[in-house]
Amino acid sequence: MSVILRIRDLTLGYPNLTLFRRLSIEIEAGTTLAVLGANGSGKSTFVKVLLGLIPPLSGQLTWPKGRPHEIGYLAQMTEFDRRFPIRVRDLVSMGAWRGFGLWSGLDRASRARVAAALDEAGVLPLAERPLHMLSGGQLQRALFARVMLQDAPLILLDEPFAAVDQSTEEHLLSIMARWRREGRAVGLVVHDLSPVLDHCNQVLLLGGGAATHGATESVLTPERLVAHGYLSKSQAAWMFRDSAASAVSRCA
Amino acid sequence: MLELFAEMWSFAFMRRAFVATTVLSISIAPVGAFLVLRRLSLAGEAMAHAVTPGIVIGFVMAGMSVASLLAGGLIAGIGVASLAALLARRTILRSDASLASLYLIALAAGIFILSAAGSAVPLQSFLFGSILGIDDPSMLLLGGVATVTLASFAVLLRPLIVSTCDPVFFESQTRRPWVVEQGFMLLLVLNLLAAFKTLGTLMAVGLMILPATAARYWASTITGQLAVGFAFALSSCWIGLTLSYLLPETPSGPAIVLVAGCLFLISLLFGPLGFGGSLRSPSGAEASPVPWIPPERRTP
Repeated sequence: MSVILRIRDLTLGYPNLTLFRRLSIEIEAGTTLAVLGANGSGKSTFVKVLLGLIPPLSGQLTWPKGRPHEIGYLAQMTEFDRRFPIRVRDLVSMGAWRGFGLWSGLDRASRARVAAALDEAGVLPLAERPLHMLSGGQLQRALFARVMLQDAPLILLDEPFAAVDQSTEEHLLSIMARWRREGRAVGLVVHDLSPVLDHCNQVLLLGGGAATHGATESVLTPERLVAHGYLSKSQAAWMFRDSAASAVSRCA
Repeated sequence: MLELFAEMWSFAFMRRAFVATTVLSISIAPVGAFLVLRRLSLAGEAMAHAVTPGIVIGFVMAGMSVASLLAGGLIAGIGVASLAALLARRTILRSDASLASLYLIALAAGIFILSAAGSAVPLQSFLFGSILGIDDPSMLLLGGVATVTLASFAVLLRPLIVSTCDPVFFESQTRRPWVVEQGFMLLLVLNLLAAFKTLGTLMAVGLMILPATAARYWASTITGQLAVGFAFALSSCWIGLTLSYLLPETPSGPAIVLVAGCLFLISLLFGPLGFGGSLRSPSGAEASPVPWIPPERRTP
């Protein structure tokens, strides 16, 4: 597998608060990495460092094949203006906005890609609707379609399932599975364990001033989840009540 | 009636006023549209106050000229805007609070200096402009600002749309997101200065914001928003000027903004996104999600 991004000795935090120290990871093509942790453990900060929006306290990011032109990115929905006067189709087209000329519109091939992405995300029938007429789930589908248009080797999703129902989550997860098959690396920030078990082969567990990275089944142990402040002891005992780690091994 | 129009048209100062406000509408409408969309409507008002001390100092030092207006206003406007941005980034205050603090200081300083200098120009013409006495340099300023504004929008329109709709996505897409933001603030200050002579600092924002908010009730695309906003701004100017001519002793600046206000009320009542339509009802879309069928299971 080829390495897309190599993270060396990354220390993350703010001047008066260190979130974790000296993390080294290689993100390979086809990896789905779950970034898991309690509130304030640095999940979104980690994603923003990868995007280059925030500088790390120390450490290096190297891109063996060069920094891609596009990094697919889906921010938390709370940061989005839903009353902006734009149609779903145009929102999705933003994913291909580098392909626009200064004044010209999209060419025929790009328009076809927009339509295909709308269709795969299940929002083609809504293409001509303004954004304020969409539900939360429909908007998230449209934003997934925009990520598809970006056609990026690395895709970072910040809590994409926070405001969507179960069937939408499942549909979006199936799109994520296709990205993995296509050899894209996906970084998925989540609160909830359930999508991690079935869909992520690696986990970065943050919290408690430290970071643990590894294969899903090796990281998601009750001891680690408690140590990183993700679960309390009683929650861990309840979740892993059948036998330690059986829930994990079943899915692995 | 027709004679009255012919009479109005026979005055050179009225013809000038019509041309000036037409050029101003072309320039100010797109700025107003994005001011509203970027949720900066009140920041526009604040900036209008913030440029006042610069204009006053320019006036006190170099007399009333386009050059002193432009230099003073630009320095004050850009100074306040960037200082406010700095405070918002580096301190606990949010951008609205830091901008409010700075513009209030600037406004007080402006009026203080104007009074202390024993100015011959009445404060009223600073606040409400003097649309019926526009000289050649003012016309040139209007034309220049309109040209700069339209040329900038030709280049900045798409980045502006993306950065306004989804700022975080935009930041992830570009190395220098501040270029668009600061460029837009510069256009805002330029347009306020262009409108200063014709409408005054207080009324200028009225012509910027009201047509844009009124258009918002009709348009659900950017193109629509820009087109309707321009149409509203232009008709406010023409109708307002005519009214202030027909009714003697009425000031033209407030007349123009009042017409814009009427258009806003009409839009609010009858526009599809105002009370006339419903922003909420389409949530019926939520009740009936469009079923998604995987491509392999679809039957033609």
